Amino acid sequence: MQIFIRTLILGIVSGSVYALASTGLVLTYKTSGVLNFGYGALALFTTYIHWTLAVNAGLPVWLSALIVVFIVAPILGVILDTQLFRPLEGQPQIISVIATVGLFVLFRGIAQLIWKGATESVPSLFPAGVAFHLPGGAAVAKDDLGVLIVAVVAALGLGAMLRWTRIGVAFRAVVSNRSVAGLMGINTGYVSGLAWALGTSFAALMGILLAPKLLLDPNLLPPFIIAFVLGAAVVGYMRSLPLAYAGGIFIGIAQAIFVQYIRSQGFWGRISDSLPFLMITLAVIFAPRALRQAGAGASFIVHSREVMQRASRNTRGLVTVLFFGFLALVPILFSGSWTAAVYQGFVYAIIFISLVILTGYSGQISFGQTAFMGIAAFTTAHLVQGAHLPMWIAMVLGPLAAVPAGNIIGFIAVRVHGLYLALMTLAFAFMADSLFFQNPTISGGEGGIHIGRPAGFHGPTSLFYLGFMFLIAFALIAVNLRTGRTGRVLASMRDSETGSRSLGISVTKYKVLIFGLSAFIAGMGGVLLSFVLEQAGNRSFIPFLSLFFMAVAVVGGIFGVGGAIVGGLLYGIYGQLSGYQLLSWLNNWQLVLFGLGCTLALVQNPEGMFGELRRAGAAITRLYERRTRRSRTRSEPLPVAGGQE
Amino acid sequence: MSTLLAQSVTIRFGGLTAVDDATVEVPEGGFIGLIGPNGAGKTTLFNAIGGFLTPTRGRITLDGRDITGMPAAARARLGIGRTFQKLELFGRMSVFDNLMVAAESAESRLDIVSDILSLPRRHSEEARCGRIAEEMLRTLDLEWARDRRAADLPVGHARLLELGRALCTKPKLMLLDEPSSGLDSDETADFGKMLKRVNEDMGISILLVEHDMDLVMDVCKALYVLDFGRLIAQGSPKQIVKDPAVRAAYLGEEDDEAAAAPAER
Repeated sequence: MQIFIRTLILGIVSGSVYALASTGLVLTYKTSGVLNFGYGALALFTTYIHWTLAVNAGLPVWLSALIVVFIVAPILGVILDTQLFRPLEGQPQIISVIATVGLFVLFRGIAQLIWKGATESVPSLFPAGVAFHLPGGAAVAKDDLGVLIVAVVAALGLGAMLRWTRIGVAFRAVVSNRSVAGLMGINTGYVSGLAWALGTSFAALMGILLAPKLLLDPNLLPPFIIAFVLGAAVVGYMRSLPLAYAGGIFIGIAQAIFVQYIRSQGFWGRISDSLPFLMITLAVIFAPRALRQAGAGASFIVHSREVMQRASRNTRGLVTVLFFGFLALVPILFSGSWTAAVYQGFVYAIIFISLVILTGYSGQISFGQTAFMGIAAFTTAHLVQGAHLPMWIAMVLGPLAAVPAGNIIGFIAVRVHGLYLALMTLAFAFMADSLFFQNPTISGGEGGIHIGRPAGFHGPTSLFYLGFMFLIAFALIAVNLRTGRTGRVLASMRDSETGSRSLGISVTKYKVLIFGLSAFIAGMGGVLLSFVLEQAGNRSFIPFLSLFFMAVAVVGGIFGVGGAIVGGLLYGIYGQLSGYQLLSWLNNWQLVLFGLGCTLALVQNPEGMFGELRRAGAAITRLYERRTRRSRTRSEPLPVAGGQE
Repeated sequence: MSTLLAQSVTIRFGGLTAVDDATVEVPEGGFIGLIGPNGAGKTTLFNAIGGFLTPTRGRITLDGRDITGMPAAARARLGIGRTFQKLELFGRMSVFDNLMVAAESAESRLDIVSDILSLPRRHSEEARCGRIAEEMLRTLDLEWARDRRAADLPVGHARLLELGRALCTKPKLMLLDEPSSGLDSDETADFGKMLKRVNEDMGISILLVEHDMDLVMDVCKALYVLDFGRLIAQGSPKQIVKDPAVRAAYLGEEDDEAAAAPAER
């Protein structure tokens, strides 16, 4: 009984911290329409600042916490709102979801860059020792009591503000209907800025309260926070703050009981790790229809910079042929390490193509690509190792094994849209990781599992051409898909599912199909990626990679195959460059640059680098045409004045 | 045999009865109007016929075939085309592609293999369906907008395009939900002419939900009037205009102008 009460207290304490954070998350979501996947990284970043002030600069812990929670975090929140999320207003929900993923990568990267990813222990705000004993005899630590009090006071403070102050009324008005509130003369920009400030403060407060208990570990904290806070928010269906709060307490208690009474190692440990994601999945699947379908009817018109005049078909064809011709010569012109780097670029491009056909062509989203990659790679490895199949067969069967998983996600995507789909797929990546990829019998434990390479493709040059062939094949498939009937159907579903249905199009069939195809392509990418090291291990397909890949894909361009290839090669070459002594700093800057690139791209031009290249191509075409026209006018004056402009 | 028969349809949302035991019949080649004041349950009944919601009670048949529980897409494949009050065009696609999607979904089977490998079969199918779409562009007089994005069309043309898109699926029955909303009186009249062509020249039965009485009186051969979910009258437009129950529903009290406002709700 005493153990149970202690467990309960532990659960309530950590639960109240999750509750606090999930309240902040829901607050910003309801006022600005953006669910912040970068919440955990913001908590990490602000907690590192707290650690620096308190430990390095020697400030009193309380003072440093106050500075971070009341000055640093609110300023950060307002900057994010005004610089990033307000410019994104009017874009489809998926775009702002991806922007927060960019934010996640960015702040995770900044923490890496400044604090070198070191694990630090953060001093607690409260003294050690026992505060009092409960009637049953269970002891309550002063630390736990303090955390509980701060969390409850903060939540009550927020509640009181919303209830009784003028700004609170404005808040509630914006929460219940943003556009009407704007029409009523409420400055919605001011409200959303304040919401972001509050939300970020709550993130900081959560980090500062939790870090002494957990350790400040950049690899652990953000995913941990994503798991529990998103879980809490979704359990409350992101509808009301009290529900979000209750969800947080619930998850805290459930976790404490699970850890106390069920072993934390082996199979049950893996179940325990994936518990919040299981809850997210169940909560999403069983959510009220109106909620799951939120954003279903919303338009998916992405506002990007217009390309005034595209280069002619022939010019584009010529540029493409020249580009691929140049790529084919890479092993001849460059050293072996460059060849290997460009091979990796091909593989990333293939993985990004699997994202392009979902997001760019169909308006869907998946943060679960690493799951497909892992399923394919480990299946291939086991087929080669265990069943002694030839690699050529195994490397096709592996990606095929990922297809049913994709089909299931596609089937769920008929019922779940936008934000909730993003959540679900991320939860799927986490569950695949903790349930399967962390299982030593599947991923081979510490040393990983050997995969090898297909017969005849052991050397770097031949492997290069293998990757090249696959890239061309998948690029052609994707382009044919887009220009053909299937692509038209997918585009029609992206623009209006209701309209598609009214024409007799089975939305279910096409979603199952496209997620299956995406899973296959991503799976092939996973297999080809594991050819690089000839092995795959439990760190090869961590869910974080799904988010990172999304960020890089956006930098290249998520709306077309061209963007996928640009993004893939960019990341492959980046890896090669950071291998040089002079440029080794690139390693540390990787997350910062791609995270920043992703968010900037979404604000400036969602079509990414490829979009900018197209604009440049169009500008050159215009320049060229003007010059030829001028020279023609000089030699033989046009019969009719004017001509076409 | 009637093309569409919705028999004693009742639709409840929780405690609210939106449609109460309504029977609507569209004969073959018929042009039927469904009218009623705001909140009468027109669109609800309409959505039940289109398959976007399932009736609580009642039976809906198309050419004698029971389609009551069938999803919208399946009904569309059986020959029900529809347009929406709030346009559901494919905004980012070109006007031509909007028609093309419709033609393809009715005319050719999904063949993803010849699609992604760009086999000859794909191109012959595309040419065939392309001709249907081009033909429809001419019928709609929208050739000038062929390659524009559908989202950029003015409402009048967008309504035409949505109608044309549904026609590309070669429906037996067209369901039109308030096609005149957002149109001025000239555009409405033009749209009415188009509807007559669809009904008379193409031989497609039409069920029209509409607010604009001029349009309804002009084009419909018979009318059903709903009020508070109940059918209160049916008959030819001339009969309906004289029907006292209809006048009461629309005007409140026959001779009291002041009562018109509250009755509008």
